Amino acid sequence: MQVLFKVIRQKQNTAPSVQTYPLDVDPENTVLQGLNRIKWELDGSLAFRKNCRNTICGSCAMRINGRSALACKEKVKNELMNELAISAAKLPEITVAPMGNMPVIKDLVVDMSRFWEHLEAVEPYVSTQARAVPEREFLQTPEQRSRLNQSGNCIMCGACYSECNAREVNPDFVGPHALAKAQRMVEDSRDTDTEARLEEYNKGTQGVWGCTRCYLCNAVCPMGVEPMDRIGEVKQQILERKDAQDSRPVRHRKVFIDLVKQGGWLDERKFALLVVSNTLRDLRGLVSLAPLGLRMLASGKFPLRFEPSQGTKEVRSLIEAVQRQNSQTSDK
Amino acid sequence: MPSKMLQYAYYPGCVAQGACHELYLSTAALTQALGIELLELKKAACCGSGTYKEDSQLLEDSVNARNIALAESQNLPLLTHCSTCQGVIGHVDERLKDYQRTHPAYIEQINGLLEQESCLSYGGSTSVTHLLWVLIGDYGIEALQERVTRQLSELKCAAFYGCYLLRAQKSLPYDDPFHPESMENVFRAVGATPVYYRGRTQCCGWPIASYAPTQSFTMAGTHIQEAIEADADCMVTPCPLCHLNLDSRQPEAEKVIERQLGLPVLHLPQLVALALGVKPDKLGLDQHVVSTQPVLEKLGVR
Ligand code: SF4
Ligand code: SF4
Ligand code: FES
Repeated sequence: MQVLFKVIRQKQNTAPSVQTYPLDVDPENTVLQGLNRIKWELDGSLAFRKNCRNTICGSCAMRINGRSALACKEKVKNELMNELAISAAKLPEITVAPMGNMPVIKDLVVDMSRFWEHLEAVEPYVSTQARAVPEREFLQTPEQRSRLNQSGNCIMCGACYSECNAREVNPDFVGPHALAKAQRMVEDSRDTDTEARLEEYNKGTQGVWGCTRCYLCNAVCPMGVEPMDRIGEVKQQILERKDAQDSRPVRHRKVFIDLVKQGGWLDERKFALLVVSNTLRDLRGLVSLAPLGLRMLASGKFPLRFEPSQGTKEVRSLIEAVQRQNSQTSDK
Repeated sequence: MPSKMLQYAYYPGCVAQGACHELYLSTAALTQALGIELLELKKAACCGSGTYKEDSQLLEDSVNARNIALAESQNLPLLTHCSTCQGVIGHVDERLKDYQRTHPAYIEQINGLLEQESCLSYGGSTSVTHLLWVLIGDYGIEALQERVTRQLSELKCAAFYGCYLLRAQKSLPYDDPFHPESMENVFRAVGATPVYYRGRTQCCGWPIASYAPTQSFTMAGTHIQEAIEADADCMVTPCPLCHLNLDSRQPEAEKVIERQLGLPVLHLPQLVALALGVKPDKLGLDQHVVSTQPVLEKLGVR
């Protein structure tokens, strides 16, 4: 069938432009096969990365119809189903663009240096001490190994990093690929640096707390790593060890659950006050809230009352029962 | 109009009962105008907005299994009007339904906890749906169109979906998560013109606002600015948490991105109710931080 490939092309430090290539392709072909044919038959100057053609190497990630994906995984026919504006008059289109959050070198090839530096920043190696060769190999139970399955599937393609909303506004945030790897290190029974790692990943907003839970990494990852959920698992480990005085992100989580225990619903007034100002200890935090409070009062938005849920008692005892069960299993 | 009266177990959520009371008002006004009956779940609890799960999966599952069980006991679908509540509770429901087949022991653990604390147990017998999906699916976009008495033809609307509505559940009833159209279809049904811009499917920044304000408000500010550049008269969102960052914090966003913004942000039911002829004072349109007056003037409503 006839398909129009619209490729966003770019040279370093110049503005991008769109080039279109009409191509007669088998709908069962992958987008990568289409790009290869363009390069071989129509325009040898088109640049893109590829290697395995089989969703193994992670080279061919690019933005296909608006989201980052592997060109060797996505089929032409599925891309056309996604495309809404197919009219009889014009050719069906597939738009291909370079990944985001990384500077373009040429066409679909981006500079991934920061991506690799950010991976390095989480120390993605099982700690040295544990690597001192034992008399026999390190043994893991199937249960211990299974906790590494999802993050272990990462092929470092960059799709998650490309879409990450937190990375876009925070150049220090190490990104979903690195934090999924961090989870793999924290959960690895052979690693002896767990506590030091957690301290590191807990810092500021370069680590787990920088994630804004946009779900984009989960949505685009071609290998089912679900980085956001892996980040959540690292957060769980941190929250188990820290109290509310540790930092605002930790306090945010602790206060949240405490307030639900008190009222079933979240009392936003108390929440804002307790998270930001740490019960009046942090004056700067408190002062920073004043304009918002006044503005909300002026617009009639400030909640003057809080009505607890009629199920508050049940909810509180349910949460406490869950917390008891969790602390029993983590003591084991 | 659907032949049978539509009824839902209405889950109001925290924000509509607090800082976005206008959402509570406008959902009530809209459903009344459409003849949709809501039975409010007075005993429900906060869904956790993704925060419980960072403490433990069991916490998120138990509290929300209890919420769903409350709707099950009424034999009604649970209705949300918040992208985050929908994503969280909807995902718990789809996962627990799956676990009933694949991990029955986990369901037993949850129901054990629920019974022990004298809560109803989870049966997987109902569904969890958002007001937006009710409008386009259960009520029907054509039926809605027929009820419009005030065409919003002058209005250019920029949708802001909210992450959890698009990406928290494994399957969506009406949308491709990367190219959603349900909000835009509602805009067209009420005579308004949809405005497309990149930010409509991105994150508003709310989850990190309490401790990373600059990053959070850069997100909000950038999206608002893009919508303005795409010529929008207003944003419309099915998520009150997005509304908090986009409307209540818009003055901070202006400071962070050093641009004047001033774009009104409407809740979905406010927009639809206006098209059905509901009076603005029933919709809390005066309870916004960014004045909604320009929208009303454009529509010639007072
Ligand atoms: S987590 Fe997934 S999307 Fe991210 S680099 Fe690894 S394989 Fe690619
Ligand atoms: S969920 Fe977090 S890590 Fe994943 S893409 Fe969004 S902000 Fe980045
Ligand atoms: S070419 Fe190796 S993953 Fe696509």
